[in-house]
Amino acid sequence: MPASLTPLSEIPLPSPRPDENYCCDGPDGPIRFVGLKSLLGAADFPKAGDRHAGLAAADEIAREAARTLLSALTVAHVHERPLCTADGRIDDVMRVNYDVDQEIHREIAPLTFGQLKDRLLAATGAEAVRLGRGLTGVTAAVAKLCDIHELILVARRIANPTRARTLLGARGTLSSRLQPNHPTDDPRGIALLTWWGLSMAAGDALIGVNPAIDTVENVAAVLHLLDDLRRRAAAPTQICVLSHVKTQLAALDRGAPVEILFQSLAGTEATLTGEFDVTVELLDHGWRTMRERGPVRGAAQWMYFETGQGSEFSYGRHEGIDMTTTEALCYGLARRYDPFMINNVTGFIGPETHRDNFELLAASLQDLFLGKLLGLPMGIGSCYTLHAESGLEGQQATTELLAAAGATYFMDVALNTDRMLAYFDTSAHDNQSLREIHGREPAGEFLDWCLGRGILARDDTGTVVRGPEWGRPERFCGSAEEFAELVAATPALHGFETAGPRPADAVARRVRWHQAVGRAAVHQPLDVGRLRSLAPFREIATAAATHDSHLAAPALGARPAAGELERFAAEPFPVQILVSDGLSAAAVHHNLPDLLPLLLDGLAARGIGVGTPLVARHGRVKLAEPVGERLGADLVIHLIGERPGGDALASRSLSAYLVYRLPDAVRVAAAQASGHAGIRHEVTVISNIYAAGLPPVEAAAQIVAKTERILRHRAAGNRLEGLIATAAG
Amino acid sequence: MTAAARSILVGLDFGTTTSSALVAEAAVRRNAVTGRMELAVVRETYRSPLVFTPLVGERLDLAATLGLVDGWLACGGVGHGGDGIAGGGALVTGLTARRDNAASLVAAIRERLGTALVATADDPCLESWLAFQGSCAPLSRRHPDRSFIHLDIGGGTTNIASGRDGDVEATGCLFVGARHVRFVPGTRRIVSLTPLAGAAFTALGIAARPGDDLLPDDLDRLLDWYLALLGRAVAGAAVDPADRAWLGHLQVPFLPPGRPAGSDPPIVTLSGGVGELVYAAAGGTPLPGTTAFGDLGVDLARRLLTHPAWSRSWLEYRPEGGGRATVAGLLRHATRISGASIHLPDRAVLPLADLPIVGTLSPDVDDALLGRVLELARRCSGGAAVRVRGMQATAEMVRGFGGRLATALAAGGWPAHLPLVLLLDTNCGQALGQAATAWGRLGVPLVVVDELDLPDARWATLGAVCDGVVPVSFHGLR
Repeated sequence: MPASLTPLSEIPLPSPRPDENYCCDGPDGPIRFVGLKSLLGAADFPKAGDRHAGLAAADEIAREAARTLLSALTVAHVHERPLCTADGRIDDVMRVNYDVDQEIHREIAPLTFGQLKDRLLAATGAEAVRLGRGLTGVTAAVAKLCDIHELILVARRIANPTRARTLLGARGTLSSRLQPNHPTDDPRGIALLTWWGLSMAAGDALIGVNPAIDTVENVAAVLHLLDDLRRRAAAPTQICVLSHVKTQLAALDRGAPVEILFQSLAGTEATLTGEFDVTVELLDHGWRTMRERGPVRGAAQWMYFETGQGSEFSYGRHEGIDMTTTEALCYGLARRYDPFMINNVTGFIGPETHRDNFELLAASLQDLFLGKLLGLPMGIGSCYTLHAESGLEGQQATTELLAAAGATYFMDVALNTDRMLAYFDTSAHDNQSLREIHGREPAGEFLDWCLGRGILARDDTGTVVRGPEWGRPERFCGSAEEFAELVAATPALHGFETAGPRPADAVARRVRWHQAVGRAAVHQPLDVGRLRSLAPFREIATAAATHDSHLAAPALGARPAAGELERFAAEPFPVQILVSDGLSAAAVHHNLPDLLPLLLDGLAARGIGVGTPLVARHGRVKLAEPVGERLGADLVIHLIGERPGGDALASRSLSAYLVYRLPDAVRVAAAQASGHAGIRHEVTVISNIYAAGLPPVEAAAQIVAKTERILRHRAAGNRLEGLIATAAG
Repeated sequence: MTAAARSILVGLDFGTTTSSALVAEAAVRRNAVTGRMELAVVRETYRSPLVFTPLVGERLDLAATLGLVDGWLACGGVGHGGDGIAGGGALVTGLTARRDNAASLVAAIRERLGTALVATADDPCLESWLAFQGSCAPLSRRHPDRSFIHLDIGGGTTNIASGRDGDVEATGCLFVGARHVRFVPGTRRIVSLTPLAGAAFTALGIAARPGDDLLPDDLDRLLDWYLALLGRAVAGAAVDPADRAWLGHLQVPFLPPGRPAGSDPPIVTLSGGVGELVYAAAGGTPLPGTTAFGDLGVDLARRLLTHPAWSRSWLEYRPEGGGRATVAGLLRHATRISGASIHLPDRAVLPLADLPIVGTLSPDVDDALLGRVLELARRCSGGAAVRVRGMQATAEMVRGFGGRLATALAAGGWPAHLPLVLLLDTNCGQALGQAATAWGRLGVPLVVVDELDLPDARWATLGAVCDGVVPVSFHGLR
């Protein structure tokens, strides 16, 4: 625990410098990189986000050229050239990264990156961590010179243990972070998933819920629930609700048990502040508040950060810096707070940042290396989505290597399927498998608890093995009826049966079948001909010419193809209907036949003029904006397929985005309400439209009602709800 | 657990012998598995002691009873006028329901607690249904392949219900209970007999009357006869109340569904005061002394403990609830919750109490029947409800049936002040309501409430909108 936080103004910074050329000879002439950002981007493993950002090397020759150039640069050279914002400023995230041990920095500054890498490979773990204290996130770019063995070798030697209620990251341990997410924060579902994880010796790092509703009241309620569950089980671990830091601090003010303070971080200030609404000052305040009022007695650490390669790129706020470097800058920021744990969720975003299994594997190993080198307790949420070319076996191969590289913990998402966030992570079955394969144990206090409950046991040789109570969540319930009630409220369970540390094959088959259906929904082509039996759809092409480009580059689907809009003229209708496949054409095919006829009936009956519906292949949500602008519509009803998750039926889930084009007369009010001066649209969303969610006929009625209100109040989204509430008194 | 405000559920049971209350904090939330809205108990906040139902002579002591109610509600944190109550029920049961001022108690409770909860007297099938739900249903769900017959034996009645996998299949009611014969506690000295007990004494040749001691042989004969009645009911022979063999003790016939030949017999479970004694004794707690409660309860329990066919079940199949099955059922099961997307153009239409349910429609109903049902509804001065079964959430069905409803409503000139409520079991209430009002162009105060289990009941009560859903309760179950 740092005694205090270095004031930003006291962190010594080099002055920004103009970009320099880095050049070497190639087989067909000189290869040139303009500026460090370009060089660092080209030196990395090839990854989708860097390719889309124009930072990845064009080919292997260019990559090796960049690595060779980087290898020859000194640490001092890179250190003295801070990567600046577009307006030439050193942002606060970069500034914090420069809070290094000056003495160590002076020691390593003369080394080239090649020499630094060699020294790290020869060093003990403790020595590597010592050297890391002299590095910024940018100078940790030594990772770009490492192959897979080297990333694992260095990371494996490093242990950065931390302590809250349990000691996390001690050698020989492999912990897990239990994530009992539920789509409606139903306490029964959260309880069941918590019991299930605990019954499989998961959760020693933390039990943490991503709330479905990020309000102070709900976050406090979930915290109290987790506290109650933990106390009932007497499990030595800690709890957290992963809401915004402001929400958690407000919950703490209300007496909620905020044991560990969570926040997502980003490697540029533009993302951290502009997208996450977080400043270094706010994080400082959170750290100090928890130091004063954190409820876990004896805790040496109390902060928990999540990061992941590519978030800055996906928000378009990466400042021209590659994904590995922005990720390392997150770690340089996190280091300031000596956190209890870091969770890296590279893979959560999708194929626009990491296209396939190898990109995820390489990124995850880099992140583990970087985080450990910078002194952090690194866990990896090795995850994937169904619209990327990655899947369970790729994830498993990655986690095997990460376990070999000494990852502190993995996630426990029951049966790999997050029921709230539509993505796939490691499970308690995976964690137990990895412990058995790599000879690891849970954290000490938690291990004792597991042994005491018979969840784990020691065999004749003293080896920790699964005990008779392993995988029996019902043992945490007071009665079979109580357990049945919890089960009845929890989706995507698929079965509790096991085979050794794995789910029984029947269970695994169900899990994989649901994933297969979801993945098929992503790749099913939109059948425009079928839709034309419902209405004389007009087709509009997006800039995503192919399905691959649609998945890999979301921005393409958000705009019409070049010249496409010119085919349309302004129309006298206040409303236009736009249908897009989004990430599930199946959702369109299954819902439109019942939704569209009633929607057209309702709009006509209410006297609301609507143009002939439009349909776009490879569309994204934002496509509604240029379409509405061009057609002069006040409102575009955009019906679009949602990202499939782990439930086959839900892979047919559609959303309706009601995108209201703000007239000049209300733009000031909208700007004031949103805090966004340049606001041009407000959006009301009706989601979860499918047979087992909001049936399409009901969705049609809701859309008609919302449309009428939006047009009457000249507002959408939160501002509309506020106006309606005010009118209702 | 959402941002939604917590609600309160209240259960009040005024039985032949005892009365009790339960208060709980509840939350409206969507079940992520079924997709349906639920009004789920978060925690029980108050459980009253069981008290003797206050009587003055043959009438309810209204002042004392309402004093009890006020005390219970205060202990349960219920605000004045029932603020925050989302549902539950108040039920006057057994012989208490037959006292001539039972209706006054119901009216006074409704005045105190509003219309969010069902309040009624003498609704034996509702009582049987609630007792099963409040006691046996979880056990039944644990054994989904077995049939259960649940006997809620109180002071005046035995409410009987059969069910499978948590669902009630049939209900009935017998006038068999502990309080038909009252004794000086600790003795066999008879204090009073109900007219039914008097008839039974006569038919069985028992000469004893109030002031006499009931002789052991006579007690045995009486208990044999009561157990035989229960046995006949469980066997499915409680069919005809006019059958003189029942001596007027069959209040509501009980017709459990037939079982395939060779299937296991139903498992008999108990609740009510007598049931509580049986399970306690089966678990090793000695029965109280002779007529400890001044009635037949201990003797009935002793006989049930040695019943040749049923007694094996007492240890193996123990339901919840004990003597509070009805009040637990009232608290947790009396109120259903609509879906979140309903047709309610004007919230001020609700609440609506005791709406008669005038009929059942299906989407393929012929125009003549559709017209007759709407005409029946129109004649109800305070509004009416109609069940709609077989509705599917398809555009074709919503347009078709909704359009026909709109035509019929427009043709009949439906009064603008008269609420009409459609009760649906599927999730298409908002769409059907829009289609049935020509998307709002018809000025009909139509309410369409969906995603309800629709019992065969005579009346429905709709509470005010609570967290976007409507609490609905039914009474007058058939």
